[in-house]
Amino acid sequence: MLKTIDELTQAAREIRKNLLELCSKQVIHIGGDLSVADVMTVLWQYQMKYDPKNTGDEKRDRFVLSKGHASAVTSFNQAAIGCFTKDDVINEYATDEGRFSMHSCNLVNPYVEVSTGSLGHGFPVACGMAAALRQKGNFESRVYVVMGDGEQSEGSVWEAALGAVRYKLGNLVAIVDFNGLEADGKISEVTALGDIAEKYRAFGFNVREFDGNDIAQIKENFDSLPPADSEVPTVFICRTTKGKGVEFMENQPRWHAGKITQEQLAECIRALDGKE
Amino acid sequence: MYDLGVKNDKVMLVNADLMGTCRNRKFAEEFPERSFNLGIAEQNMVSFAAGLGHEGFIPYAFSMAPFLTMRACEQCRTDVAYANLSVRLMGTYAGLSGGISGATHWSIEDVAIMAAMPNMTVVEVSDPTQATQIMDQTLEHEGPMYIRSSVEPVFKLYADDYKHTVGKASIARSGDDGAFICSGITVKYAVEAADRLKADFGLEIRVVDMHTIKPVDREAVVSAAKTGSVIIAQDHNVYGGLGSIVATVLAEEGCAAKFKNIGIDDKFVAMAHAPYLYNKFGYDADGLYNSMKAMLGVK
Repeated sequence: MLKTIDELTQAAREIRKNLLELCSKQVIHIGGDLSVADVMTVLWQYQMKYDPKNTGDEKRDRFVLSKGHASAVTSFNQAAIGCFTKDDVINEYATDEGRFSMHSCNLVNPYVEVSTGSLGHGFPVACGMAAALRQKGNFESRVYVVMGDGEQSEGSVWEAALGAVRYKLGNLVAIVDFNGLEADGKISEVTALGDIAEKYRAFGFNVREFDGNDIAQIKENFDSLPPADSEVPTVFICRTTKGKGVEFMENQPRWHAGKITQEQLAECIRALDGKE
Repeated sequence: MYDLGVKNDKVMLVNADLMGTCRNRKFAEEFPERSFNLGIAEQNMVSFAAGLGHEGFIPYAFSMAPFLTMRACEQCRTDVAYANLSVRLMGTYAGLSGGISGATHWSIEDVAIMAAMPNMTVVEVSDPTQATQIMDQTLEHEGPMYIRSSVEPVFKLYADDYKHTVGKASIARSGDDGAFICSGITVKYAVEAADRLKADFGLEIRVVDMHTIKPVDREAVVSAAKTGSVIIAQDHNVYGGLGSIVATVLAEEGCAAKFKNIGIDDKFVAMAHAPYLYNKFGYDADGLYNSMKAMLGVK
């Protein structure tokens, strides 16, 4: 478990290096992995109560990756806390008998609570889990669910938002990686998503909107979450940059998914290290 | 549902604004803390139920079968079946039983859809005792189940001491002169047809009640085929329902028998009362009587 902003900044940089190394071997959803890397690092390596040696612990926090294509950034964070090694992820990713692939699957990876991939599923499932925890008398654990911004077009997201408020799921923390781009282009051009924070506020959520690539802001918002036994669900609207940390990928729709060359990898690593 | 709630405190009820139609209000009133109504949002209902299932509960999610299996199809498949959760998907308005509500409220594809999902057990009950026994078994059964029922769900067909078991066909009438293989409402009609065939011609027609459509009871199918004349009837499209499943078993097992598959004849028709539609498609008692009579060549 990391503690300081410096440690977390360094850890996020390592996650980005892992992602780029993998991206030099396989096509991955690199753009969205990079945009959400900081939030995921703080969540997995600082915030969540989760012991890889005791995954059945009733008091653990639950994690659901609703934006299932961010599986690589999830797997590298799980590696960082000891679920497996970073090399396991790189070597097995998208192999026929591997544990890691484009989306996460709990048939082969027990650290995945819920298999995801199709958008608009993880959030409502997470709501059911949050309600179940309360029913079991567990008022300590939280359920964290990470969604994409393009994913907000799915109607099931808003069905779930209604239910989360109705059932007072204050143990639910929804995180929207708002990088402004979806597969076909800018969110503002593909869908009329509008002011997403205002929409969640209107549904009755506790809404926090901040820079999702700023470790200090991320940490501060996790630190100041309402208690898990409170009655209003929280949503983080994380303003991020797709491809964050790699200059030629930033805000480029074509880097939603892709593969880089060894030369590009070396250049990216130099650039990331240069920021130390 | 209320009795299940008394027997097992892991039972949860999940609704989508059809508590009255689905007749589970008593559970909701007695166990409000174990009851969720997500409003008219079937996708959310099924995913939410999956979330409860992930945490070890046995959720029963209710809606009309078309909305459950089609509106929330991907949720049933990806959130429930893929995760192999012990969620019970309860669909009423099976087949044409929605009658005058029309095609929007009919469920004539649900068996095909749900049977195609790995891990999913598919059930349709015909009798109140059978329904009670099978519902009790849903407390123990591992993995997801889809249970369809008609608007008027069940008719008394069996003695109270008959033992019904998920995965094993019940025999509503015994006989070796021919066999009906049915599920749900058509079992009642097949029993009426068999009784008339006995009265009119002295024929002993077996009625196999295939309440568990998947996994189908292969032994019961093979045994029925030995009568030489098999008629399948289900309140479902002829494609993908009980008839398709039984036909596959017959072919795989090398059974030779006369075979007829009766159901909705792969078409949409306008709204009408269910008995009228059952008659039109030939799977009410008259239709089944006439089909078996013709197959056996008796006059």
